[in-house]
Amino acid sequence: MTLRPVDITLIVVLVIALALFFDFTNGFHDTANAMATPIATGAMKPKVAVTVAAILNLVGAFLSTEVARTVSGGIIREGDGGVQITPEMIFAGLIGAVVWNMFTWLRGLPSSSSHALFGGLIGAAIVGAGMGSVDFGVVLSKVVLPALLAPLIAGVVGYTATRLAYTITRRRDDKSERGGFRYGQIFTSSLVALAHGTNDAQKTMGVITLTLIAGGLLTPDSGPPFWVVVVCAFAIALGTYTGGWRIIQTMGGGLTEVKPTQGFSAEASTTATVLASSHLGFALSTTQVASGSIIGAGLGRRGSKIQWGTAGKIVVAWFITLPASAAVGAVAALIATLGVTGLVIDAVVGAVVIAGIFVLSRRRPHDQGSAIEVDVAATSVLSRRRARRAVRKGRVDTPASGVEAPFVRMDDPPEPVPAPRGTAPADDEVR
Amino acid sequence: MIDWSAFVVVALVALFSAAALVSLYSFGLRLLTVEGRTPVRTAAGYACFVVCALGVLYGIYLIVPGFHR
Repeated sequence: MTLRPVDITLIVVLVIALALFFDFTNGFHDTANAMATPIATGAMKPKVAVTVAAILNLVGAFLSTEVARTVSGGIIREGDGGVQITPEMIFAGLIGAVVWNMFTWLRGLPSSSSHALFGGLIGAAIVGAGMGSVDFGVVLSKVVLPALLAPLIAGVVGYTATRLAYTITRRRDDKSERGGFRYGQIFTSSLVALAHGTNDAQKTMGVITLTLIAGGLLTPDSGPPFWVVVVCAFAIALGTYTGGWRIIQTMGGGLTEVKPTQGFSAEASTTATVLASSHLGFALSTTQVASGSIIGAGLGRRGSKIQWGTAGKIVVAWFITLPASAAVGAVAALIATLGVTGLVIDAVVGAVVIAGIFVLSRRRPHDQGSAIEVDVAATSVLSRRRARRAVRKGRVDTPASGVEAPFVRMDDPPEPVPAPRGTAPADDEVR
Repeated sequence: MIDWSAFVVVALVALFSAAALVSLYSFGLRLLTVEGRTPVRTAAGYACFVVCALGVLYGIYLIVPGFHR
């Protein structure tokens, strides 16, 4: 380490700040995995859902003390005989990850935060230590193939669960009681949120701990100091509470219209797949599993439509997540080779880009027709109107039938005509 | 390069457990909402939900490392 002590302090502070912001984006990016379907079906009000998810993320972050020993999970040949990962590399990698996370959020695309982090680090490592520092075999087996397999397996599980649920609850007398699936959703979604807290906060804790070790502020092989655990837990919980509404909207309504039965089945398959994958040794991305489950649940209800255009965009985002954040990470690493000046330039440019994306999100809410923030007030207005319509049509047999579709598109006509249900499919919930 | 046996195990376990949980909950829902409820049906319905709750508890057990280490 050739840096002077003052430089080490600067880079350590920068990395910690950026790592915490990454943790925050990780939280609001992944709220949708757990809470998109319960919000879509009205099982939980949006504010309640994000509050529950935030609390469970906070609790989850304290539950697990198993902090990652490597930053990249083997993708970069770090450690003995390999590349020494410097704080500068971690800093540049984090810039790549954060910028890509913000960009996918702007487009309302659920993409994996871990893959963004890996990508940023890969880009930074290639610039800092050459192509040989990256193990592309591990990239293929840990990132690329799971990205194909995760939605596939989750889709099959979600489809099967949804078909089973509809078959078992089918009744001859034409009165469905499937609103009861809403209560089940609360539990399955909460499990997903808790699992997220125990997994994802650890990544940031690992990054910060390894940076402190690299900066000589901690002895090697020491665990994270308690303050690191606390700030990481609160960063991810705050991010979750902020709620990535754009992504929630994509997953809760953009892919397919989610009914309570489908929502319950989708969350049950997400939970089962994520828990099986994390305990039986085949890591899958929660985001990709959740998206796959929702598509599977969409396929499982007769008469429901999947927006394959949206699904295609999401898949494209998964596959460019790694190279895109790698490119940003590489550029940041290149600038960082200028020394302290480079780091400052990196930090300023990064902050400007993030602020720019945020401003853009305020200015162009109609972007791609998918990215309207869900306004809780608008939701309740629409819900009441829908509830009145439901009363008029005598459709009050399902509990909370008024809150079935809280997703408001601002460009919708003010009094939307309900889709003709004359040829209502056999599995429709509100008959 | 990729551990296909682990993948198959994960796929089967996920499929089986999700199917079991959803089936149980659905049966419970159906038993409790069917017309002409009898005490037996009601008890069976609640039993389904209890088993579901046990499944959720097992999920929590799996998520929290402190419980199984």
